[in-house]
Amino acid sequence: MIDRLRFVVMETWESLTRNATMQAAAISTACIALILLGGASMALYKLDAAAQSLPSQFEANVFLKMSTTREQAMQLKTQLEAMPEIERVALTPREVAWEQEKQKLAGEVNLADLPNPLPDKLTVRVRDPAMLPAVSQRIAQSPFVEEVIDSRKELQTVLELARLVRWIGLGAGGLLLLAALILIYNTVRLTIFSRQREVRVMALLGATLRSIRLPFVLEGMTQGVVGGALAATLVLFVAALISDYFVRQWPFLKDMPPGLPPYVLMVGLPAMGALIGGLCAWWATRRHVHI
Amino acid sequence: MVELKQVSVVYGEQHALRRVSLTVEKGEFVFLVGATGAGKSTLFKLLYGELRPTEGEVWVLGQPLHQIKSRELPYLRRRMGIVPQDYPLLPRKTVWENIAYGLRAIGYNESAVRQRVAQVLALVGLNEQARQMPSQLSGGEAQRAAIARAIANHPPLLIADEPTANLDPDTSWEIIELLMRINLRGATVIVSTHNRAIVDRACQRVVAMDRGQIISDVPHGGYPIELDRLHATVML
Ligand SMILES: Nc1ncnc2c1ncn2[C@@H]1O[C@H](COP(=O)(O)OP(=O)(O)OP(=O)(O)O)[C@@H](O)[C@H]1O
Ligand SMILES: [Mg+2]
Repeated sequence: MIDRLRFVVMETWESLTRNATMQAAAISTACIALILLGGASMALYKLDAAAQSLPSQFEANVFLKMSTTREQAMQLKTQLEAMPEIERVALTPREVAWEQEKQKLAGEVNLADLPNPLPDKLTVRVRDPAMLPAVSQRIAQSPFVEEVIDSRKELQTVLELARLVRWIGLGAGGLLLLAALILIYNTVRLTIFSRQREVRVMALLGATLRSIRLPFVLEGMTQGVVGGALAATLVLFVAALISDYFVRQWPFLKDMPPGLPPYVLMVGLPAMGALIGGLCAWWATRRHVHI
Repeated sequence: MVELKQVSVVYGEQHALRRVSLTVEKGEFVFLVGATGAGKSTLFKLLYGELRPTEGEVWVLGQPLHQIKSRELPYLRRRMGIVPQDYPLLPRKTVWENIAYGLRAIGYNESAVRQRVAQVLALVGLNEQARQMPSQLSGGEAQRAAIARAIANHPPLLIADEPTANLDPDTSWEIIELLMRINLRGATVIVSTHNRAIVDRACQRVVAMDRGQIISDVPHGGYPIELDRLHATVML
């Protein structure tokens, strides 16, 4: 078993050292692709966490017109509850709101004798924060509604940023990943051609197809793992630098929720590289290694 | 041990073999002779499964090679010693490594490899050259190394495609002697060659081919006169 393993490792090593330039090209392309994917997922995770942590990101406060009757308010509530995007609607009657207000300000100002200036209020909760702007806009068109207030602007910014990161990061990362696939495939193919004699000799001596193909698949996996490990190191290093800079500029950012834990990248990117490299190499051997 | 039944091989338009039938029994020593392009290598490739017949049946060691699954082919090849015509040795490995490589590739452990490599090197008389690279070997030594690798796994059948090509008469005879010695130890041997002198001298079964067909098969013959005549016609 140990001897078997040693043989396979030696063969893989021989493949890897056969054509240094091609190996370097395949590894660095895999690395760049995984940097983009890794960086993008880190940024997305962070933005997502930021969006989640924004106050009332699921909620809009709907202030009704003073002229709106309680029946109309209940009717509007029922209407809103029927909308699929909306999870729940709560009505805060103006008397209740006024009582709360009075209690909050008790001791500071005496509001007891004043008439109630507050309108009825509906608190609308949506299922998906991304729906909030559209829902708010629709509610604002109702004749019973005075004003809709939500954290739309902040949310909009975060969501837009997330979208940008997703498109750029995943789009470019995906394209480069494709390039990495082709390069790894090609490198393994060239190694196969340069080792045709070994392949033939092994085949004629009765080595199984699987054991002849294995070193080539391991070669592809190694390229992916090395590329992934390099990518993870670089992404984490640069991310640390960037967040350091931002925190120094805007100390309040310290209170932001934590980002993706580093081990996810340290394990994830090499694993992804191994998977992709192994698959390409396997495909190359299926097409070019026969007995 | 080996049986071809009405075998034809067609490359595109060209017939490399035309309805060839041949039987080789256990323990035989067979020369396969014929001019360049007669189809000797094609016939050998059928025997070790590198080629499938267009028509007919190929039986080797009891297995139907014309319909064998590629998954089973390696296990059949482990019971054959194969010396291919071109590039029999790996150029970047020493003689010792070349022989060990094959044994490792089929799963021998390291101590068994060491033991067996030493045995076959002694058998073919290459103890001195064990650490040399193939480029540092003479033609005869290279052929002996290739034979050593082929017989390392104790195959009951040995197939050598032109092991005497480009060798001087004495060295050629040494190679044939080696093959006959392996034959006497129990292996069935099939060897192709152009070398008339050694075929005459060895006095073994001779199968002659021409343009994809077997034209003669004599049990203890020399180089067939027919072939000489054919060559003469070609010359004219
Ligand atoms: N891969 C191939 N594609 C097309 N034709 C081939 C191929 N291999 C062999 N041939 C043809 O088949 C015929 C038989 O070739 P083969 O190699 O069996 O001859 P041979 O008897 O071994 O000759 P030599 O003594 O030169 O080794 C030749 O005419 C050759 O051109
Ligand atoms: Mg030939």
